[in-house]
This record gives sequence, C-alpha cells and structure tokens, in this order.
Amino acid sequence: MKDELTFTTVGSKKYDMPKHIIIWMAFLIEIIPLYFMAVVSLKNNALFNNNPWMLDSISQWQWGNWVFGAKLMLPYLANTIFVTICSVIGQLVVAIMASYFFARYKMPLSSLLWSIFMFFMILPTIANIVPVFALLKSLNLLNSLWGLIVMSIAGHQIFNIFVLRHFIEDLPRDLFEAAEMDGASHFRQLKEIVIPMCAPIIGTLAVLSFLASWNDYMMPLVFLRDQELFTMGVGLIYLNSQYVKEWGHVMAAYLIASIPLIIIFLFSMKLFVRGLSAGSFR
Amino acid sequence: MAHTVSIRKAIHEWRLYFFVLPVFILLGTFHYYPSLSGIYHSFFDWSGGDVEEYIGLRNFQRILSYNFKNHTWVYDLNFWISFKTVLILTVFNIVKMLPSIAIAVLIHRVSSQRWQYWYRVMLVVPMVVPGLVTLFVWQNLYLDPNWGIVNKVFNVLGIKSMLVGLDRFFGWNIFQPGMPIAWLSQPELIIPSLILWGFPWIGSVGVLIFLAGLQSIGTDVYEAAELDGANGWQKFMNIEFPLIMTQIRLSLILVTIGTLRDFGLQFLLLGENGGPGGKGMVPGLWMFNQGFVAGRFGYACALGLVILAFILVLTYINNKFVRVDK
Repeated sequence: MKDELTFTTVGSKKYDMPKHIIIWMAFLIEIIPLYFMAVVSLKNNALFNNNPWMLDSISQWQWGNWVFGAKLMLPYLANTIFVTICSVIGQLVVAIMASYFFARYKMPLSSLLWSIFMFFMILPTIANIVPVFALLKSLNLLNSLWGLIVMSIAGHQIFNIFVLRHFIEDLPRDLFEAAEMDGASHFRQLKEIVIPMCAPIIGTLAVLSFLASWNDYMMPLVFLRDQELFTMGVGLIYLNSQYVKEWGHVMAAYLIASIPLIIIFLFSMKLFVRGLSAGSFR
Repeated sequence: MAHTVSIRKAIHEWRLYFFVLPVFILLGTFHYYPSLSGIYHSFFDWSGGDVEEYIGLRNFQRILSYNFKNHTWVYDLNFWISFKTVLILTVFNIVKMLPSIAIAVLIHRVSSQRWQYWYRVMLVVPMVVPGLVTLFVWQNLYLDPNWGIVNKVFNVLGIKSMLVGLDRFFGWNIFQPGMPIAWLSQPELIIPSLILWGFPWIGSVGVLIFLAGLQSIGTDVYEAAELDGANGWQKFMNIEFPLIMTQIRLSLILVTIGTLRDFGLQFLLLGENGGPGGKGMVPGLWMFNQGFVAGRFGYACALGLVILAFILVLTYINNKFVRVDK
C-alpha cells in the first residue's frame, strides 16, 4: 500500500463550490450534537432551563461539571483502555499466527481446518449472548475484565484471519525461503518478514478492532456487575439511567468519555483515514 | 496460494500446528461451543442455571404452530409484531442509505486532492465519538419534548403546524396545537422517532465504502462521458451508480442484516420492553427480553435460531436477486 494518500479526481473546478457547500452543511448537521454537548456541559440546570443552546458569559461557566465528569468517567476509561489494548494486542497476535499457518504452507489438514473455520462462521452469533453468559459463569469469568478481553479476542478472529491470510499469501515466497536458508525459525520469519511487510493492513485491522472494542457496550452491560469494573459504555448507560439529572454533569461526562479517542485520532489521523478508507473494503 | 508441502516436510514442521492452536481453542470455547449450546438448549426449558428439562419442540411451537385439536394457531404475538416493526425500520434504513451515496459521489467529484483528504478526515470524526454519546445526546437534547432541538426546529420551520393540520385532516390525534411533540413517550411516535434518529443519516462507514468503490472507476470513463456531453445526473446514473453496485449491494446486506439483528438502539432509547406500548420491540430485543428479563433462556435460544433463519434467508435472497452484472 502506498504511504501517501492519493485520490483520483474527476470533477471539474467549475462546479466545485456547490459541492463544497452541500458537503459542509451535511457535516455541520452531523457534528452539531457535539457542539450542544460541549455547551450544555458548561451549564447548571438553572442556566440550562434559562438558555439551553447558547454559551453563557465566561464568568458563568460551570467548570465544576467537568471535575464531576472526570471523577466519574476516569476509572471507567481506565478499565476501557485496559480492555481495549489487551484485546487488540491479543487479537492481532493470535490472528497473525493463525494466518501465517494458513498462508505459509498448505500443511496436511490445513484445508480441513480452514473449512471448519469458515463453516462455523455462519453459526448463530445472535443467539450466542445467552449461552455465552452461562459459559462465562461456569468459567468464573463473569463480572471480570478478563472475560470481556477473551470474548473480544475470540470475537474478531474470523474477519482478521480472512483478511490477513490473503495479504501474507501475496508476499514473495523467495523472502521466506531465503530466511529459511539462514536458519530463521518461524517466529523469526513472522517478526522479520510478515509483520514489517504487512504493517499497513495490520494497522488497519488494529484500528478497526480498537474502535469495535472501545465502543462495545452490550457485552460489558450483560457481563459486568460491580461498578468498579464498569467500562465506559456501561458507565454511560448507568449515568443515563439515573432519574434526576443534572444536565451539565451528564454532558460533561459524555464529553470526557469522548476525549481519549479524539486525542488518539488527532495524532494518528492518517492511519485512521487510510485504515478506514482503503484497506479492507476493496 | 500457499503451496502444498510433502509429508516429510510437514512432519519436520510439526511445530507450525501450534500457530493455529490458540485460535481454535479460543473460537472453540467462546464461539463454537456457545453456538452449539444455543441450538441444544432451544429444545429445553432452561432458566440459565444447572436445571434444564427436555421439552422437545415446544419452544418452537410456542413461537408459531397450528394446533390440530382445537384448530387454532399458536403464536408469540410480540415476536411477530416485532418483525413488522423491523420490516418498517429496514425499509427506512435502506432509504437512509441515499444521503451516504450522495455525499460519497459529491466528495468523489470534488476536484481538489487536499479537500478529498480532509473530507475523509471529517467523515471519520463522528466515528471517533463513542456511539453511545451520540445516541444519548440525541435522546436527551434532541428528542426531548420540552427543550428538544427537533421540536424547536419543527416549530421554526412550520413543520409542526403542518403536522397539526394533517392530524386534523386524518384524525390521528397525535399532534396537538400548543402541545410539544412527545417523541419517545407517545406509542404512535416511537417508530417515527427511530426513523428520524441520526439525521442527516450519513453513515461514515457507508460513505467510505462507496468512496472506495468510486475510486476504482477509471478517469477514462469520465473523459468519454465528458466528450459525449453527459451532465452530472447522467454521469451518476450511467457511470457511478452501476459501477458502485458491488458496494451498494454490500451495504444493502450489511444494513438489512444489521437492522434485523441489532437491538442496541431500541434497547438504549426505549428500554428492555421496547418503550411505551412495546412499539419499538424488535426481534433481537424480544430475545434479550425473554432471556434476561423473563428468565426463559431456552426459549430465548429458540427465538435466536428463528431470527438466524430469517437472516440466512435474507442473505440468500440478497445474493440471488441483488445481482451485480459487470
């Protein structure tokens, strides 16, 4: 994959302006909830009832809301970061090893294993949540972050291996053979050839699984009981379910929950955009 | 393709099997086993614990069967109503793909490379904000009857008075003058709220998929069209639309299956009972409800299998009839 992002352009300069205007309007409407969130996060309920949608004068800004939000969300965010990082690393390690197995040689049994792998892809994942609950209960993984991590590692394998296998197969075989001549073990070959050469697609898969784990709320909601184990998603649902709401507090908590990913995004914009726009969709 | 190895080489490389072992252990334990256990338990009266009683097909009979003794149909009314709801939602979700296609085409036609990049960046921004946050902002700030933005905008644009007029004409008894529209609390308005949700309906992933498809169209096609004097609309109908049919089909499959399977939106906006009057009940939510609220796990497994059957049929139809002719 190219390092620079280039796009074919087909439009003529002449009619560009209307396009820009329509695109910008759509984006603004799409983004405006975030503006409201930020505005309300600086109000208390009295100010909110008075004037819900405009910023007040700076002296009236309620920074206390942000303190409240940070106190509430930071432990949840720490749990989420832990779960997400462990799952992404686990997923990629397991997936790279397995796709190396399938792509490197056609070993005896490997097509049988592949068929099993693909066949079970159509198994009913929707009905899964109930039996998975029972399974985790019997494994004592219910109400633990490790249960979430293991579920998430198992959950994304099929897609990851499916994509990675083809990328590893496309690598020139001479490379592997040369490495083998030098007596490199399979782990060495993984480390020295597969990972560097497949770095872009591995990055893409990492971004996708990062987003998936980060945004997941269904599994944590069903599997976690203790409040100190809550991930961000459950924390938000819990906050939203409270009956009397101080809107400033709620919105500040939402805002703080969104910040980590926005920061990561600012520093790795290219990776995100490339990962989400090229890679896996073709 | 990976090349076949001789048996001797394979025996020499036996350690390679350890590379594939973790994935099979993980999938076996956390994917295959629960799936098979779900199929198994759909024939049981099971409340999630150790006690289970084999009841044959009775779970499925409760979903839909014909009783020959008294010549009546036995069916799970809530479940089948939920399919009607999900059908409406699916139709609208397909319609809601149109803005994504339009935006993708517009971005594709922007002539400056730099803007094309920045628009992609802007597309990713809504994805970086947790979906739950967007959802709760909508629920609390947009759809609230008293201070909600939607009601404000409807008042200002005169849509509210139009709706009141239509209401008077058709006798719906939903929209009253002087009364705020109670989006998520009036049973009749649950489905409209779910449809309205997410305006302007630009799905970032969808747009990026379409853009990837548009990117693979060669510039020569456009040049030829230009020579023939095709206008923007003709270019769309004759070049872009047919050539991104693969991507449209892919999103069509993702959207239909996603709508049928997912219940997170309904669960979060309306609660485990599908909101007032259960109007927002969808099949997945009913399964969740029967399992985790009513404690009928065996029955929930059976419901899951029925939903799966529908998904498989849908996938088949999608593959069969939504053909791409290249």
